[in-house]
Amino acid sequence: MADIAQQTPGGQVPSNTIDEAKRQRLLELVRGRAMARPTDLAEDEVMVWPSLVVVEAVAATVFLLILVVLSVLVNAPLTDHANPNQTPNPSKAPWYFLNLQELLLHMNAGIAGVVIPSIALLAIAAIPYFDRSPLGVGILGTSAKGRRIIGFTIVFVGLLLAIMIYADEQTGRTQFGVGAWMRNQFDAPEIVYNQLLPLLMVAILIGIFVAIVRGIFRPTRRELIIALFTAFVVSYVVLTVSGTSFRGPGQNLTWPWNLPLVRH
Amino acid sequence: MRREQTLADKISGSALWRSFVRHGYPDTQRNQALIIASNIFLHIHPVKIKRYATKVTYTFCLGGLSFFMFLVLVGTGVLLMFYYIPSSDLAYQSMKDIESSVTFGQLMRNMHRWSAQGMVIAVFLHMCRVFYTGSYKPPREFNWVVGVLLLVVTFLLSFTGYLLPWDQLALWAVTVGTEIGGATPLIGSQVNMILRGDFEIGQSALIRFYTLHVLFLPLVAATLMAVHFWRIRKDGGISGPL
Repeated sequence: MADIAQQTPGGQVPSNTIDEAKRQRLLELVRGRAMARPTDLAEDEVMVWPSLVVVEAVAATVFLLILVVLSVLVNAPLTDHANPNQTPNPSKAPWYFLNLQELLLHMNAGIAGVVIPSIALLAIAAIPYFDRSPLGVGILGTSAKGRRIIGFTIVFVGLLLAIMIYADEQTGRTQFGVGAWMRNQFDAPEIVYNQLLPLLMVAILIGIFVAIVRGIFRPTRRELIIALFTAFVVSYVVLTVSGTSFRGPGQNLTWPWNLPLVRH
Repeated sequence: MRREQTLADKISGSALWRSFVRHGYPDTQRNQALIIASNIFLHIHPVKIKRYATKVTYTFCLGGLSFFMFLVLVGTGVLLMFYYIPSSDLAYQSMKDIESSVTFGQLMRNMHRWSAQGMVIAVFLHMCRVFYTGSYKPPREFNWVVGVLLLVVTFLLSFTGYLLPWDQLALWAVTVGTEIGGATPLIGSQVNMILRGDFEIGQSALIRFYTLHVLFLPLVAATLMAVHFWRIRKDGGISGPL
């Protein structure tokens, strides 16, 4: 600034007062914001009071109204006194665990009820350590391709699981007959036909699914993880619906309208 | 020109009011900032926020609703605790009493039951929303892990509450549930024993589930929620388009 002040109107600078190598020029003056003004809003910002607290208050009020109306209209179930000597048929876990109960009809209970869900939860928790690219943050489904992958996965996995549940039921829940064949032909132990075989089948199915998605969509890593996560959600939903609405006495497949009245 | 003082002005200007609420009416930006920063319940929020973060079609309010349902569950749960007796002889009768002779007892029980189911759904959908918007990506990866833990705790809270009515539905649902736990490879019988405290579901299981349900798991959930909400702020607010 001192340099500029010393410039003469003609642009000439007295040569004895300036070192040419250190000379600087002022290009432009920009009106700035003071840094420490906490209430100063940028263009894409709003005040939390009222902009956000209003949304929260409305959401909470609407939800509370719905909850109270529902609770006035529909009573929570209370069946007969607990009786360890009288097993209801079918006995069912709470609905959000019925996906596991459905799964354990098809394989060893420890594999279906503990090992597979534990692996699934660990894999879900690990997602951000595999997908670290910030691309697509804040956009539902990341991209048009991502949304197509979601649609494809819902249809593909949904149909596949429904067919598999039906097929395994038709073969007497013996891993589509393969388990029964191993047991009859080779006298295979339980750990082989009821634990390792189903795990292998699940792993192969996931592998085939990944290969198909790769072949059709040429996905990025994020899009592949979208396919896998969607497959998990679809499996959770399909197995839950099957367990709650299609399993009658003896856990046999039944139409929902033929189920004995089970209230949740 | 000074306008005439209304009664509201006199109240909000009084020494008592000002000792309690330290800022004026939030119609100026300064007071709108102060009301958030100086109120312990509101200071969970920042003073200002990105515009997209207030869009309902981005979050669908799912995380907020999960938390709100937790609060409803704490409120109705405390009221139910005044009447519920965690004894295998008396539990069922106390449920009957809550339904038939406690004022608003049936309503409190219904609200508790339906919010519990709703919370499981809301937490799951919240996880889906966070996933599909890519909100788990760095720097939010640890908060995603905390969220997965909260999902597990929500399941456990709902499951431990399931036994308490001590009716057939409760007993057999928990029998099936603990049998799944008892099928854990290698340590199955130990897991089953820890859950039930006995070879079959009886008084020991009931008091375990009750203690987990009304004390231990809510404390774990509250602690994890505190971390979860704190981390949202520390990781730069909720995610949004770059």
